[in-house]
Amino acid sequence: MAALRASAGRVLASVPRASRPTIMLARSMASMSEPTPSESPKMKTFQVYRWDPATPDAKPRMQNYTLDLNKTGPMILDALIRIKNEIDPTLTFRRSCREGICGSCAMNIDGQNNLACLCRIPAAGASDVKIYPLPHTFTVKDLVPDLTLFYQQYKSIKPYLQRDTPALDGKEYLQSKADRKKLDGLYECILCACCSTSCPSYWWNSEEYLGPAVLLQSYRWLIDSRDEKKAERKAALDNSMSLYRCHTILNCTRACPKGLNPGKAIAELKKMLSF
Amino acid sequence: MFTLKEAQLQQSTPIPLAIVAALSVPMASIVRPALFRQGVLRPAFKPGIIQTGVRVAAFQTTTRKRVLPPLPLNDPVPVPEPSPSHGSYHWSFERLLAVGLVPLTIAPFAAGSLNPIMDSILCGTLLVHSHLGFQSMIIDYIPTKRLPTIRKLSGWALNAATLLVGVGLYEFETNDVGLTETVKRVWNA
Repeated sequence: MAALRASAGRVLASVPRASRPTIMLARSMASMSEPTPSESPKMKTFQVYRWDPATPDAKPRMQNYTLDLNKTGPMILDALIRIKNEIDPTLTFRRSCREGICGSCAMNIDGQNNLACLCRIPAAGASDVKIYPLPHTFTVKDLVPDLTLFYQQYKSIKPYLQRDTPALDGKEYLQSKADRKKLDGLYECILCACCSTSCPSYWWNSEEYLGPAVLLQSYRWLIDSRDEKKAERKAALDNSMSLYRCHTILNCTRACPKGLNPGKAIAELKKMLSF
Repeated sequence: MFTLKEAQLQQSTPIPLAIVAALSVPMASIVRPALFRQGVLRPAFKPGIIQTGVRVAAFQTTTRKRVLPPLPLNDPVPVPEPSPSHGSYHWSFERLLAVGLVPLTIAPFAAGSLNPIMDSILCGTLLVHSHLGFQSMIIDYIPTKRLPTIRKLSGWALNAATLLVGVGLYEFETNDVGLTETVKRVWNA
């Protein structure tokens, strides 16, 4: 699989080395404690999608929030947390780890699905930042999408080791280094649904097409040398809808905030099923 | 939390409201301070909401059609029956046709000779190739679940169109100059 883009590298690449400790501190608090007085305010407007289930008759709307970037952490998530803390406590979004490992804060930022915690706020002066929930999902509230179907589909591919023969030493299933290496670029998936919800095929046929994230996981279990249900796993995909609605437009690979390549995993699946 | 209850209530499986209410009691006791504060702003979040079926139904603002499969929420989606003729065989066949078209298109011009058999093979491959392409578009954009009638109609319309084109090509090949010769005459580059 494709080599991982180092997320941390991307996150910190453009920050001068000297200022890193400050930024790291700021990220943990979402807002910087002491802005330098000489700095002129860098205002940035965030347009955020709002919809409240408590007022179901009101149409979804965009709400503008303007922040001074000097007082805000570097990431979109910092801005959202600051909006929630200081401007509007009714703003709703999911977040947990703030370092791109939980996948909770997946949302559509400036037209691109991304994790809010891994996405930098564009430099001040540029146009407004538009933040929507993941596209073509049912919205629970504001930026919180309903991922029930996504998880049901993940469950349907049986994402766990299936085997009948017991381990040779009675303790653990051993694997060669080469076999373990095949899982690199697959096991890192955090199921944030950025890829699946960026896929037009998944938009049109999400009820039947499994989508890139789930297919990547399917491939991850198919090439696992310890798994013994390969035939069953392949048969589960061998129909018109589950796998073959992928037309290789690679939106998934472009969207993946972890730098994985679901498009390639799907291509490998198709090859596996045919040859 | 909200959608789960909402979806459960909407499904045909009768979940006694008492259970939902009982489930929400301990939770409510934990989040009560928060509810108190928000209650002023949003009366819809008052605890009584779950018990009144009418108000819950009002939460549905998008289309009422059931998009999620009618299942308990933690069950996996059903796995379709394996059918390689619509899956892997179909895919391999599509690739074979697409790859085959390349030499078939170049060969008559490269060889410089016009063979009616080669010409008819090219026509046949082209016809099936485009039929499968259009079929793929119909499957993608007219899902059976949402538009069953239009899906069926467009499927038959495609079959009719393919048949018509097939007959037309046959006529063209037998009574006229044929495909390759036409391209040769039209292409004055």
